[in-house]
Amino acid sequence: MGHSYQAVQWNPNKKRYDALLLVSVVLYLGVFLGVGFVWFPEATAETLLLRALGTAGFLALHVILCIGPLARLDRRWLPLLYNRRHLGVTMATLGLLHGGLALLQFHGFGDVSAFESLFTSNPRWGSLAQFPFQPLGAAALVILVLMAATSHDFWLANLTAPVWKALHMLVYVAYGLLVMHVALGALQVESSPIPLVLLGVGILTVGGLQVLAARKDRQVDGEIGVSPGSDTGWIDVCAIGEIEDGRARLVLASGERIAIFRDGDRYSALSAVCQHQNGPLGEGRIVDGLAVCPWHGFQYRPKCGRSPEPFQEVVPTFPLKIVEERLWLDPTPLPLGDESGSTSGGGIRA
Amino acid sequence: MRDDSARDEFFIGWQAEGPPRTMRFVRARVLWWIALALGVAVLAAISQRPFASSNFEFGAVRTFEGVLEHVPFPVLVVDRPAADPAGPSTSRWLLTVFGKRGAEPHTRPFDGARVRLKGSLIHRDDAVMVELLPETLAVLEERSARADDASAATPITLRGEIVDSKCFLGVMKPGNLKTHRACAARCISGGVPPVLLVRDESGRATYFLLVGPAGEAVNERVLPYVAEPIEVTGSVSTRGDLRILRADPEAFRRL
Repeated sequence: MGHSYQAVQWNPNKKRYDALLLVSVVLYLGVFLGVGFVWFPEATAETLLLRALGTAGFLALHVILCIGPLARLDRRWLPLLYNRRHLGVTMATLGLLHGGLALLQFHGFGDVSAFESLFTSNPRWGSLAQFPFQPLGAAALVILVLMAATSHDFWLANLTAPVWKALHMLVYVAYGLLVMHVALGALQVESSPIPLVLLGVGILTVGGLQVLAARKDRQVDGEIGVSPGSDTGWIDVCAIGEIEDGRARLVLASGERIAIFRDGDRYSALSAVCQHQNGPLGEGRIVDGLAVCPWHGFQYRPKCGRSPEPFQEVVPTFPLKIVEERLWLDPTPLPLGDESGSTSGGGIRA
Repeated sequence: MRDDSARDEFFIGWQAEGPPRTMRFVRARVLWWIALALGVAVLAAISQRPFASSNFEFGAVRTFEGVLEHVPFPVLVVDRPAADPAGPSTSRWLLTVFGKRGAEPHTRPFDGARVRLKGSLIHRDDAVMVELLPETLAVLEERSARADDASAATPITLRGEIVDSKCFLGVMKPGNLKTHRACAARCISGGVPPVLLVRDESGRATYFLLVGPAGEAVNERVLPYVAEPIEVTGSVSTRGDLRILRADPEAFRRL
């Protein structure tokens, strides 16, 4: 976490991540160009570069779309999720270079502007086989560049979380557009089945991981879903001591995930959704007395749901009580910042 | 061996160092991913459609001499080396200028003149084009004898693909098919001569300079058909080593 906005808050992990990312991109481009020139001595540099940049960016987008579900399926992938923004900006840069080179090469130096040519040079909008594939790539690029430009927390705070989240969910629209861009463009002119197989494996991998992660989320919701235990709306959660110290038990009540954290003998109920990027706060831990979101390390005081000063984030808290050694939750949120919800189990042993 | 103990660790990104077992897990898999990505790079590189053995001598400027003709596109009629005494004594080289532009506005005032010009060669198979530097055009002889080597027109129906001569002859690789469609349309719209590319069963290509029924330029009218398989009915004639296909774009048929 950081209070003031900086372009990048460097730490050793982030530096290693970026160095490895840069080396990987250079290696990919070098291998594509090197193998391309050896295999096809007649090839031109600009065509190979265009294809190297395009395939590198598209591959990076696949990796980006796999990291989210992988981290949902196994938390050991979280270090890659934390730094995903850098991969996203790199991918958008590769896309920009590919798009810019294509615009210059195919549409530049003509009798109309390159941008006008992009949308008018192929008029066959009504034909699937001849459909203009380049505007599809351009539309995807606009989304990806917009996402890269607004990936910083400055924009998250200023656009508001719902707008920011909606904008960044457009990555799936961009992915769909790029699949069409490739399928209706390069795939139509290549004679080898390898590009088609690679695209198929990519789509199946991304789609398969998303399905598996969604299935796991549904399973979790099924396991944590409870019904009110009385007419008053209080929910019988579990026996005190069933929650591991420093962790949370998730409860699904009225469609909302609530995390009941245990810090020693004190229990607190918070919304399980982080205010930062809707991260899974309920899968976080208590570290130094604060509930920490596993995605980007945002912290909240368990008693009141407020981030430690000078941060401004607040998550809703809920009333808890202990009756006959069992924890009861009222899923009606308290006023933001209210500290009256948490309860102490006094002398509990896990 | 599965390292489940890493699952109990808790990674906080803003901390200077991550939990050791988690970071080992990530490092190992990232290295695999990089190896996989490089494998994808190799596969993607070697699975490209073979590139044509055409050539654009970009940056290599030569000097040429010949007679300027317009058919209606500008061509330079150059003397042909007498390697084959029975063959034509001249060759017709199409002319273009930098970018996606035809050379006709620059060459029209010199129609019929013997000229010297500088430019770069573009060539594929037996077809040659020159990207001329317009400012280097110099008249050597105002009116030169025009070679009388035109053949009679013969009705013909051909199946092929319209390409722009500049890219297809060597400036772009590939210079045809759908991925090149936009560029071909831009070039033809800018005045570069359109060519009907016809391949025989063995894949050998023949090029026909595409003009209207009266021999006029029909660049704008062929644009909707560029880079698609089409059937063209018209009449074909030769002018030296240049094949000219006269056809009405209204009668083009998509295949």
